[in-house]
Amino acid sequence: MTATVLPFQVLQAPENWRTVDFISDLHLQEQDTATFKVWQTYMHNTTADAVFILGDLFEVWVGDDAVAHHVFLQHCASVLKLCAATKHVAFMRGNRDFLVGTFFLHECRVQDLQDPTLLNFASHKILLSHGDAGCLADTSYQEFRHMVRQVNWQSTFLAKPLSERESIARQLRMQSESLKKDPQTLYADVDDGWTAQWLAQTEATCLVHGHTHRPADHHLDLGLSLSKTRHVLSDWDAAAPRPRAEVLRWHSTGKHERVSLLAQ
Amino acid sequence: MSNPQVELHIAGKGVILIELDAEKAPISTENFLHYVNKGHYDNTIFHRVIPGFMIQGGGFEPSMEQKHSDAAIQNEGNNGLKNNKYTLAMARTQAPHSATAQFFINTADNEFLNHTAPSLQGWGYAVFGHVVSGTEIVDAIEEVKTGRNGFHDDVPKEPIIIEKAVAL
Repeated sequence: MTATVLPFQVLQAPENWRTVDFISDLHLQEQDTATFKVWQTYMHNTTADAVFILGDLFEVWVGDDAVAHHVFLQHCASVLKLCAATKHVAFMRGNRDFLVGTFFLHECRVQDLQDPTLLNFASHKILLSHGDAGCLADTSYQEFRHMVRQVNWQSTFLAKPLSERESIARQLRMQSESLKKDPQTLYADVDDGWTAQWLAQTEATCLVHGHTHRPADHHLDLGLSLSKTRHVLSDWDAAAPRPRAEVLRWHSTGKHERVSLLAQ
Repeated sequence: MSNPQVELHIAGKGVILIELDAEKAPISTENFLHYVNKGHYDNTIFHRVIPGFMIQGGGFEPSMEQKHSDAAIQNEGNNGLKNNKYTLAMARTQAPHSATAQFFINTADNEFLNHTAPSLQGWGYAVFGHVVSGTEIVDAIEEVKTGRNGFHDDVPKEPIIIEKAVAL
C-alpha cells in the first residue's frame, strides 16, 4: 500500500511475515568478487520473508543501460531476480546508486522504495532511509545531493553516452577517495533533530538506515520518556583487512539482532 | 476528426490494428505517424518480449542491426492515459524525454509506468494509443521463446517481423 498524499511511503507488511532483513552499503563492484559472493550466498540462503536493501547496493550506477554492457551487473540482476522469486525484495536508492531505474527494478521483480519509507511490520513501525539526506552538517554534500536529484540534471547526465557517464563516475570516485585520505575530512553523522522530526511525523519508534558505515544502535532522548532508537547498518567489505558483512534481522516479536555472515 | 489508425502487418501472424490518441498525445501521435509514413517500421522486429509486461519494437532490423532514428520527443506521460493492457506507449532510455522511434505494447496493467511526478522515476511512459484488433496476435508474440542476443536480453529466438506499418 502506498499513501500518495504523505511525504513518505507506507508499506504494510503481510501478516504472514515472521522475519525481515535489512542490509545496505554493499558497494558491489566488479573488482570485489569476495563481497559479491557473500551477498549471492546470503540472498540465496536467507530465511527471512523479506530483504530490504537500503541503498548503495552498487558502488556506482550510471544508468540501467549499463547492465547490457557489463556481465557483472547481469549477475547482480540474476541474484536479485532469483531471490525475488521466493521472497519479497525491496530496494531504496543510496547516494551511489540513486540512478537505478524503475524498469531495472521491475525486471528484477524488486520493489522500488522511496526514501524514507515507513514499514508497518507486525506491531512495529520502522522508518527506513538510506541516511544521506539526514547528514545535514555536511552542507557541501547536501548541495551536491540537491543538484544530482534534479530531474534536469539527471536527464542531461543520462543523455550522455555510456562511456562518458562512466568516465564522469570514475572522476567523482577519485575525488571522493582523495577526500577520504585527507585527515582533515570529517564525516557528518545523521542529524538527531532530523531523525526526531521524521520519527514524530511518521509515528515510528525507530529509524533504520545505512550510509555512514558506523554500525551502532543509538538511543534518542526525546523527552516525555519516549524511547526511540536509530539503528545504523554496517557496510560490507569481505576483502578488507577487517572484513564485514552484516544483516540486521528483525522478528515479528520485536526481537532484532545483527547477524555476521562471515566466519568469525 | 476521428483518430488515426495504423496497421502493423506481422509476418506469419496477421494484422494488429492500432488507434492513436491524437487529442491526448499529439506529439507522440505525430511522431509515430512520421515514422510510419517514411517506412521506418517496415521490416523491423519486436526485439524485446517480456511475458506479463510488454512487447517492444520499432528500432531493430531482423539481423538485430539498430536503425537510425530522428530527434527525441517530449514525453507526454502526463497526459492522463494509463499503461493498461493492450495500450501503445513510447519506449525510451532512462532520460524522460528521450523517445524516438521505438514503442511497446503493454501486455499487463503496468501501473508503475504511469506518470506520478515530474521526476526521473516518476515521469512515466507516454501512452498514445491502443490495440483495436489483433490482441490475439499480441498474446501470441508474448508467448514466443526468447533469449540473450549480444547486448540484449529477452530477444525472440525466431524474429517477430513487422513486414509493414500502414497508416489508414
